[in-house]
Amino acid sequence: MANRDENAMWSIFGYLLSGLIFWGGIGYGLDKWLDKGIFTLIGLLVGISGAIYLVWLRFGRE
Amino acid sequence: MRVLLRSAEGEGFVPPSTKDFELPPIFGDNVYTTKPILLVFLSVILISVFFILSARKAAIVPSKFQFAGESVYSFVRENLAKEVIGHEFMRFVPYLFTLFTFILVNNLFGIIPLIQFPTMSHVSFPYVLALSTYLVFHYVGIRKQGAFKYFKEILFMPGVPKAAYILITPLEILTFFVVRPLTLSLRLFANMFAGHLLLLVFILGGEHLLQGVIGLKLISPFAFAIGIVLTFFEFMVQCLQAYIFTLLAALYIAGALADEH
Repeated sequence: MANRDENAMWSIFGYLLSGLIFWGGIGYGLDKWLDKGIFTLIGLLVGISGAIYLVWLRFGRE
Repeated sequence: MRVLLRSAEGEGFVPPSTKDFELPPIFGDNVYTTKPILLVFLSVILISVFFILSARKAAIVPSKFQFAGESVYSFVRENLAKEVIGHEFMRFVPYLFTLFTFILVNNLFGIIPLIQFPTMSHVSFPYVLALSTYLVFHYVGIRKQGAFKYFKEILFMPGVPKAAYILITPLEILTFFVVRPLTLSLRLFANMFAGHLLLLVFILGGEHLLQGVIGLKLISPFAFAIGIVLTFFEFMVQCLQAYIFTLLAALYIAGALADEH
C-alpha cells in the first residue's frame, strides 16, 4: 500500500510539472510571437487544469 | 586542506560551494581518473567481491557473511521485486538488485572515512542509471504489449471524451518520456549533492572556528557535534534514496507490464 502511495505521489508531481511546462510553454511562445502578455498565464492555467483532470482520471475514478 | 591553507594565510572563512565537487585528476592530466570515476570502479569491485565471497561457500546453515549477503538479496527480491511487479518478478531481480547495491554503495561512500565523497553527487551518474531504467521499462512494455498497443495506452487513456485528448495527451507524452527519467535522476543527484554540502559546511566550519580566538574555539565542538549528527542523518538519506530509486524503477516496470495503465 505504501508503494502505491509513493507511486501516486510522484506521478501526480510529474503530471503537474508536465502540465505547467507544456501549456505554459505554448502560452509563452504565443506571447513572444504575438507580442502580448496574457497567453503565458492562460497557458499555465490550462496546463494545471489539464494536469488535475488527468490526475483525477488516473487516481480519482476508482 | 583548503581551509587549513587559507586560515594560515589569515583569510576569512569561505563557505563550501560547487567548486568542492570539481575534483582534479589523480593521475597526471588524464580526466578519466578523477575521484568519482575511481570510486565507481571501487564500488564495482567491492560489491562483486562481497557477493562472490558470501555466495561461494553457501551452506544450509549460513555463516554470518553469507547471511549478510542473502539478507540484501532477499530484501530486494521480496520487498521490491515481488511485491511491486507481481508474478513475473524473477526476470527483473538481477537488474533491480544491481541497481540497488550499486547506488547504495556509491551513496555510502559519502560518509565512509577517507573516501567521503558520494559518487552520485555528480549528476552524470544518476543520468546514466535513469537512462538504462528508462530503456528497460519501455522495452519491457513494448515486448509485452506490442509497440502500437503500448504507446496507444500511454497516449490515449480509455474512457475519456475525444476532445480532452488535445489537453491531456501532450501531458502524458511529457510525463512518460521526459519528466519521469528526469525526476528519477535529479532526486538522487540533489539529495547526495545537498547532503555532501551540508556535511562540508558543518565540519569545515567547525575546523575554521577551531583556529579562531578562544571564544570561537569554544563554539567549534558544537559545529562538530552537529556534523556528526548530520552524518547519521545522511546515512539514513543515502539508504532511503537507493531504496526509492529502485522502488520507482520497479514501479515503472510494473506499470509497463500491466495491461491497463
